[in-house]
Amino acid sequence: MSIFKANSVSVNRAELAIVNDVDLQVERGTISVLLGANGAGKTTLLEGLSGVIRIAGGTIELEGQPLQRARPGARARAGLGYVEQGRTVFRELTTEENLRVGLHDSADISEAYALFPELVQRQDVPAGLLSGGEQQMLVIARALLTRPKVLMIDEMSAGLAPVIVGRLMQTMRKLADEGLAILLVEQFAALALDVGDRAYVMRRGRMVYDGDCKTLLDAPDKLHDFYLGSANTEG
Amino acid sequence: MNSLLTSAVAGLTAAGAYALLGVCAVFTYRLVAVVNFTGAAIGTAGTFVLITLYDAGFPLWPSVFAGIAGGTIAGVLIGFVMTTWFAESAASTKAAVTVALLVGLIAIGLRLTGGQHPHVMPDLFPGSAFRLAGVEVTIASALTIGLAVLFTLLADWFLNLTRTGLHLRALSERPMAAELLGVRVKLLSIFVWAVTGSFTAFALMIIAPQRSPNFMTLSLLVVPALAAALVGLFRSFWIALAGGIVLGVVEGLVSGFDGVSQYRGAIPFLVILGVLLWSQRGARWDDAR
Amino acid sequence: MMHASLRSALTIAVSLAVAGAAIVGLLPPYWVFLATAVLITAVALLSLGLVTGRTGMIALCQMSFAGVGAWTVGYLNVWNAPGGLVAWIVAGGLAAVPLGVAIGLPALRLRGINLAIVTLSFAVAFDTILATITYPGQTAFISVPRPGIVDSDEGYFVFVLIIYALIAICLAFVTRTRLGASWLAVRHSERAAAAHGVSVPMAKLSAFAISAFIAGISGGMLAGYLGTLVSENFSMMQSLLLFAVATMAGAHFVEGAIIGGILIVMFPELLRRLDLPQDIGNVIFAIGATQALSTGETISETFRRLARKLLPARPVAEASASREHLPPPVTRTAGTALAIKGLTVRYGSVVALEDVSFDVPAGTVVGLIGPNGAGKSTFIDAVAGFLDRYGGQVSVEGRPLEGIGAHRRARMGVRRTWQTTRIAPELTVGEYLNLAAGGLSEDQRVAVLAWIGCPSPQVPVAAVDAGTRRLLDVAGVVAARPAVVLLDEPGAGQSYDQALKLGERIAEIPALFGSAVLLVEHDMDLVRAACSQVRVLDFGRIIASGPPDAVLDNPVVKKAYLGHAAESEAA
Repeated sequence: MSIFKANSVSVNRAELAIVNDVDLQVERGTISVLLGANGAGKTTLLEGLSGVIRIAGGTIELEGQPLQRARPGARARAGLGYVEQGRTVFRELTTEENLRVGLHDSADISEAYALFPELVQRQDVPAGLLSGGEQQMLVIARALLTRPKVLMIDEMSAGLAPVIVGRLMQTMRKLADEGLAILLVEQFAALALDVGDRAYVMRRGRMVYDGDCKTLLDAPDKLHDFYLGSANTEG
Repeated sequence: MNSLLTSAVAGLTAAGAYALLGVCAVFTYRLVAVVNFTGAAIGTAGTFVLITLYDAGFPLWPSVFAGIAGGTIAGVLIGFVMTTWFAESAASTKAAVTVALLVGLIAIGLRLTGGQHPHVMPDLFPGSAFRLAGVEVTIASALTIGLAVLFTLLADWFLNLTRTGLHLRALSERPMAAELLGVRVKLLSIFVWAVTGSFTAFALMIIAPQRSPNFMTLSLLVVPALAAALVGLFRSFWIALAGGIVLGVVEGLVSGFDGVSQYRGAIPFLVILGVLLWSQRGARWDDAR
Repeated sequence: MMHASLRSALTIAVSLAVAGAAIVGLLPPYWVFLATAVLITAVALLSLGLVTGRTGMIALCQMSFAGVGAWTVGYLNVWNAPGGLVAWIVAGGLAAVPLGVAIGLPALRLRGINLAIVTLSFAVAFDTILATITYPGQTAFISVPRPGIVDSDEGYFVFVLIIYALIAICLAFVTRTRLGASWLAVRHSERAAAAHGVSVPMAKLSAFAISAFIAGISGGMLAGYLGTLVSENFSMMQSLLLFAVATMAGAHFVEGAIIGGILIVMFPELLRRLDLPQDIGNVIFAIGATQALSTGETISETFRRLARKLLPARPVAEASASREHLPPPVTRTAGTALAIKGLTVRYGSVVALEDVSFDVPAGTVVGLIGPNGAGKSTFIDAVAGFLDRYGGQVSVEGRPLEGIGAHRRARMGVRRTWQTTRIAPELTVGEYLNLAAGGLSEDQRVAVLAWIGCPSPQVPVAAVDAGTRRLLDVAGVVAARPAVVLLDEPGAGQSYDQALKLGERIAEIPALFGSAVLLVEHDMDLVRAACSQVRVLDFGRIIASGPPDAVLDNPVVKKAYLGHAAESEAA
């Protein structure tokens, strides 16, 4: 039984149908990877799932509870964590204050510092002055401290150095092994497929692949076509 | 020289009220992103709860507290309208809404309080507090300025040192990111409206005896309030506070000169004009568009 | 374009003439007297609709401008100035203009909210000034005389009706010009307006000046209507009321201003006859304005929507014309259309672009691709002049662009589109094209629209689907035939077939219009169809360049798109 389910979700943006009739399920203790070329509709799908924009059709369930009509705040309090792309730190708040904003009663800030020791020495620095990588760690840590049951991360590695990306991937694996359900949108497809369990691929607003990561990893040509297109791939 | 000082000191009560209203305007703008043209009208509603109860023979201080409660409720009602229907609107739309609401509030206020005929407004704090270079400083003026400073200090303390304050700062910077972390955005926004409602109500009660206390004149104190807020560029509490005090003192000074005293209502306009010309040297693009 | 203006002018003239004749012929004198007040108020509302409804600025001192007009008429009367009432009214309107400009100036470059604060404080200041100076001639009982033929109430009604019709018709013409379109464009998006070469301060200032003029005229007419005036006629509360009603009724429409005038004049009259307190009207106006702001639809717009529903729906006709009518390409010397040298952009400690250098040769389409966050949109912002600061040099046809603002860059030959379409939905397709590229003939406009697959010019933008609006964006910039066009993801949201067709069209741009193209795009099929050269950005640096197929097969590019493992796979 999946903890988080989206059934035939469609999302429009400025009247354009960006996501069409998409199904998606995330299981406890696993990493699902959502892939697709830029503009395929991945971010729009996550925004629809998190409530940032209203969905045009379909249902969303977390632990059997329907969420498609709930405000984003209510979805968050129900246990759906969402890290937006673009490192949405509160720039004028310090690192420590950023972490305290959504701090769950059962969570402790030291967990964030244990996960990302780089942040310790930056705890009193306004988040706007952190480097891109540090900001990315901060928003991920901040989301984890809300004790989500499902965590969706958009473009986790965008603009990050490869070393940090590798470490973040290992961290995600560890969190999943501890029971978290994770949905990653990732542009470094190969790396994400390596740590992920289940893969989804979107193309032009539709889900064109739903299967395990291993299969996709073993068929690099297919992946290449999904991303870069080719003269003989039809849409 | 002494007559100048007398006029300046005479402006201090207004100065304190302008400062407090200005700081409240900054508070509302920074935390819920609304340039609030109903700010003074909300406080005026509370003041008239006090006047009505007092006229009806209720004792003064319970009436004062009822008046503050009235201002709080008026603030919550406006806040409810703003957060329910205009949470996602552009800043200029929100401002336009408060202008429209101001028209309605003044009409309702004038109707309920019997039009423009003056009311008896009890002087809450009669008498003089101390003498400054031979000029009496009234308790009312010392109190409004004190209250303005207190509100500024409280706002600073509250925003920086409490969990709710932290949520408010997060909310004001990135409402969606705060909401995605589970912050109760709507509840907090209405809380901001309630706080500013109660403080402006109290400020207006103190300044009302000095003005002709009818609903419209008091509601229009929003103009010097916004002028003060603009001096602080809708950012800095302390500069808005200083701006309000300077505005009141200058108004007092001008009142001392015979030829120009009747034009003192134009002072906020001149201040606003000056601040805008000075502040927009670098600005180019509207962020949102 | 001219045709539509004439038709709408004729509609206004005829309907006003019919309504006017009916009012004079059928209604008792008292109602004619009231109808005159409705029209005078409607003129004031038209003036406010221009600033608020059309240009999107909040103006709260419109009645003060009217007061300036009224007082001017009063002084000219007391001084026995030549010309009579008509000349005095025009002088009153002109007297309000410098004031309007002076008040508009400080709020030009900042948020519209500041204009609201300036104008409200001015209204208060003006109140205190008017309160101290009585109306000219009041103490000597000199009232403003009406010229002989319009002395009767009916005559004055006709006089006011003619002025209203003249103003409404002039506005109908002006709003269909490029200036009028620029007001709506500014209201919708200042950046997009500037990208079309519109000077945003000039657009705002012209709207404010014309608006002050019209408001001054309404004040002058009020002076002739009542003979003598008091400051309460022009108090700040009147300005606020006017704002609420304009917001509620939609004063930027001819019928909206009349509806608003009827509301302001007749509502109190109705309440008086029902023995109800008159201030109920203000409460209702406040609620109505709030409602209109929350739904984004004024009374006029509601009526128009309902009227459209009643009429049989006209299908959105796609423009059709042969290519021979396309505007001739601007002949350009071969060489470099756009040259970028060492372009560097930093946001705080984040480097968005680092030392980017390349040329876009004249007559070519160059693609700029890269993963999200690589710096592509920042690149377009920098070149088109939407960043305050950047390092390096950008030049178009050899002319450096540093220190030149966005709208002047657009006029110098750098035109761009946006990732999300920013076309003001109130315009028609033809008006938008005229805003983007002035000076085309009707045939040429139709030909451009037909070439890319857009609807015909008279279709309102609101009726055009979002995907086609993106094509309209492209049509606008190429019709201007600049040295270089920068297209920001024109294929986003298009179907596969549409994207391929768009790619073919983009490939034709240099030959048909004479403009070089820089195409930022995610859709690689579109890039292959359109571009002869591709540059790849990653982490703000150019990591590869060459013909599309070679670049997309480059292992470094695959790595940027797919991640590290792809490198070993490719190797």
